[in-house]
Amino acid sequence: MARFHDLTVTDVHKTIRDAVVVTLQPVNGAAEEFDFTQGQYLTFRQDFDGEELRRSYSICAGKNDGVLQVGIKRVDGGAFSTWANEDLKVGDTLQAMPPMGGFFSALDAGNEKNYLGFAGGSGITPVLSILKTTLAAEPNSTFTLVYANKGVNTIMFREELEDLKNTYMGRFNTIHILESDAQEIDLFTGLVTEEKCAELFQSWIDIKNIDMAFICGPEPMMLGIAAALRSAGLDDAQIKFELFASSQPGRAKRKAVSKGGASNANQASASITLDGSTQTINMPKDISILDAALENKMDAPYACKAGVCSTCRCKVLEGEVEMVANHALEDYEVEKGYVLSCQSFAVTDNVVVDFDQ
Amino acid sequence: MSEDMSIESYLAAGGILTNPSNVPPRYRAELMKLMATFVDSELAGAAGFADIINAGPGIKERISAAKIVLEKTDNADRVLRIMGEFGANTDKYANHHPWTARLDRDAPAGTERAEQDMRLAVFNYPLDGWVDAVVMNLLMGRAVAVQMGEFSMVSYQPLAEAFRAIAPVEARHAELAEEGVAKLAEGDNKAALQAAVGYWWPRVAGSFGSTSSIKADTLKAMGLRKSTNAELKARWEAETKAILEKFGLTAA
Repeated sequence: MARFHDLTVTDVHKTIRDAVVVTLQPVNGAAEEFDFTQGQYLTFRQDFDGEELRRSYSICAGKNDGVLQVGIKRVDGGAFSTWANEDLKVGDTLQAMPPMGGFFSALDAGNEKNYLGFAGGSGITPVLSILKTTLAAEPNSTFTLVYANKGVNTIMFREELEDLKNTYMGRFNTIHILESDAQEIDLFTGLVTEEKCAELFQSWIDIKNIDMAFICGPEPMMLGIAAALRSAGLDDAQIKFELFASSQPGRAKRKAVSKGGASNANQASASITLDGSTQTINMPKDISILDAALENKMDAPYACKAGVCSTCRCKVLEGEVEMVANHALEDYEVEKGYVLSCQSFAVTDNVVVDFDQ
Repeated sequence: MSEDMSIESYLAAGGILTNPSNVPPRYRAELMKLMATFVDSELAGAAGFADIINAGPGIKERISAAKIVLEKTDNADRVLRIMGEFGANTDKYANHHPWTARLDRDAPAGTERAEQDMRLAVFNYPLDGWVDAVVMNLLMGRAVAVQMGEFSMVSYQPLAEAFRAIAPVEARHAELAEEGVAKLAEGDNKAALQAAVGYWWPRVAGSFGSTSSIKADTLKAMGLRKSTNAELKARWEAETKAILEKFGLTAA
């Protein structure tokens, strides 16, 4: 399993009003583990009021930039992104897991390919990493970026993209689509929808010669673009997605701890929520929560039944259970109340667990 | 830009998920089950086939069998690594079940082993010599081809990509089996081949699962399935019967 490493913050600068670019330096000999592939992301952890939050942010640096950089846009009510934008400073230490993700395709200096990237707002971060790396590594390939933003002043990396256009004259092209700011060409105003893409493919983008497309943005935009690409003849292996759900919760709620008296002989009452419905069952304390659910005809998820795979994970909302083995959940998950139901036995007379959380 | 779409409606509309941090809990559970079923089946299949390597009548056959064992283990590893990104303990997982364990050859359908894992039931039955193993590998290889076609389109992109890489490797295993059957059919093995088809056909057919699965709609909405069990099974039956007929064999 991946481990967290310390990284020193060596630079923080704003790219727009509410987004920062953070440069990181691995310490304690972890540099090798952070040798990323373009388009990958880092998962950070940080304590907020004693509770650990984990957030993933894409690397925005290209391979040839020689630095490790992530872009973090502030999300309303988002604890981590607000903190990174307002309080993070040079010299601070962040903890992150080594780069992960498969949002890239293999590069080869001999390739003569045409790439097409779509980015919505902060979705530019991995796409920027991909296009910088690709243009440098494949001297005969081209890259077209369709970049959607609300308005001119919310465009992350606007100047850097301009510079790249000059560096890779004739091989790199950006089409800015702005939701609210009017532009000379009507087509470039509004949302990037399936229809908008179809129009772009008619005149502005030579879709028949595109070898690979990358999409990173909010859900509706990804769906529309993917549909347009498929109608234009691209197959699934030619379309790469990266989605960071916009609904990542800001701050997790604390588990309600009920100090119900223990030991009513061997019987416990368990309320088990699964697929939106809750069943309350009586169960002996010496069979696992999972087995009790299964015996009561609930279709609870499981695979290994040995505390190894984490398929049977559920959250304890009330009461106390004892997890006899755990080879899969990490401390922060356990602190939030998650247990492996195949290894968990009721301790209190009442327990409430939820497989839907 | 509108960002207020739920993950559930995104998936129902054909959306693709890309990393563990954006999968909802129930999706995670179904995805883990799907992956565990594949990993356990590959590990159990490879373990069973390992014992058959020495039964190969010639060096070529033994190389084919050894290659299949190697590559199925490698395919299990690919998918297990994705489970690892969700927190599964991959080192422990690889050894937590006795992958060579089998039922009796004549155990009735639906019999469960004492120590259960997620392997498809067909991998609970022991192979009985070289001819039997080649036939099993042909029938199951064709079933895997059908299932790979389905699972290469799952909504979790890293897994879809893994399956797209695995599909041609598995397809080659089915080809090797077909070549093996062709060679055996030239000799005096007709009765043994037909007996093996008779034994394995219903067991492989069973690996497509119940034809009246209540889960189908849920999995479809999550983008984890496109076709029903019955559709996949019908596709396998048609394709595989045609192959068997070439060798004068008939499905049970």
